[in-house]
Amino acid sequence: MSVRHAILGLLAQHPRHGYDLRAAFSAVIGGDENWDVKPAQIYTTLNRLEEAGLVQESSVEQDGGPEKRIYAVTEAGRAALQEWFDCGVTPEHQRDEVFVKLMTALVSGAADLGRIIQIQRSLLYQELHAATTLRDGYNPRAEIAQILLLDKSIMHLEADLRWLDITEMRLDEVKRQPLPEPEVKPRGRPKKTVSSEQCSVSSNQ
Amino acid sequence: MSLIQTQGLTKTYGSGDTAVMALDHVNLNVNAGEFVAIMGPSGCGKSTLLHLIGGLDRPTEGRVIFDGAPIAGMSDDALTELRRRKMGFVFQFYNLIPVLNAAENAALPVTLDGAKPAVARAKAVEWLTRFGLGERLSSRPDQLSGGQQQRVAVARALVAEPALVLADEPTGNLDTHAGDEIASLLRSVSKEYGRTVIMVTHDPRIAAYADRIVFLKDGKIIDDTLLERKKNS
Repeated sequence: MSVRHAILGLLAQHPRHGYDLRAAFSAVIGGDENWDVKPAQIYTTLNRLEEAGLVQESSVEQDGGPEKRIYAVTEAGRAALQEWFDCGVTPEHQRDEVFVKLMTALVSGAADLGRIIQIQRSLLYQELHAATTLRDGYNPRAEIAQILLLDKSIMHLEADLRWLDITEMRLDEVKRQPLPEPEVKPRGRPKKTVSSEQCSVSSNQ
Repeated sequence: MSLIQTQGLTKTYGSGDTAVMALDHVNLNVNAGEFVAIMGPSGCGKSTLLHLIGGLDRPTEGRVIFDGAPIAGMSDDALTELRRRKMGFVFQFYNLIPVLNAAENAALPVTLDGAKPAVARAKAVEWLTRFGLGERLSSRPDQLSGGQQQRVAVARALVAEPALVLADEPTGNLDTHAGDEIASLLRSVSKEYGRTVIMVTHDPRIAAYADRIVFLKDGKIIDDTLLERKKNS
């Protein structure tokens, strides 16, 4: 979603060559090291935007590949861009591997939960340290995109660490009471009983 | 080279059935120049550990060795002197004297130690300037932001040129940005000025500025992690 709208935004600023668009997009996201967008993806996205009527070619050089074509945004494209700016972004909640690991350990009894939590905690702190050190080395005037991305990583890491703390507390409580076994539902047709005959009689009235 | 060592350090409150073991035979070593964070859930013993290391409390069992010498045998006066000269303290609520200005607050430890006013002031100005408060020397605490007040407190902790700085939730009363600044400042105290810093915190982002995190739970050390990942050789 975001590659599409970033391209619309850049074209809304002024029409661009395919080559220029690629470079401008790279500058928006703070460099190729952070987010590896292949040139093919830019051109594929441009094709789809053209098909959707959001972008059009404004001039073509003879024998030009996509790099040399000049693209411009359409009115429909501007409207789509504005709608994107006007709406919030729904966060995606994923069931992550740490969650699955903890539940596997909890149900199977195959590993100590406290140990899993502490191992994950140590790793996250190393990641947090690395991200903080990296971020503090950037120049806010020249490298704002990198700083914003790292701030985001840092806040996510903090959230993950706080989740581990809460989880540890909850699991400490759970240790004091056993987890219920899941209910096994009976298979096959229910046996006939006196009471079920009464039910079918009453339902005829 | 070890600066602080705790051996079987134990602190129990109360007695008999109601006794609570806040610290349970903790063995910790901190080398000179390290920046160590101590973390753990509420009641894990982290503040108790910091207070015992700083000689602000006495252990029930075990001992603290500071710079090769046990602090156990010291009198209250000797301990007070040790704290004033070899240790600096930073607290959550700054603890600045409201009627003194920044320079006077920062100079306090050496003033109390009998230094000449000019010498004390020069030291205070040196540290306050390093911490970006060169223009605020005459400001009183109520004229400074929380972050600035805490920077005065860190300067105060350093005027006596101590080997060790102890910080107890130094960012607990600060917003995100000011908190990061203080954590970064404490890191420079360790990396640029070569002091040992031991900091209790429950804030993950602040702890991440340290070199090493010691995790406590129920009065025991459950993990001890170095934060710089070793590069593959």
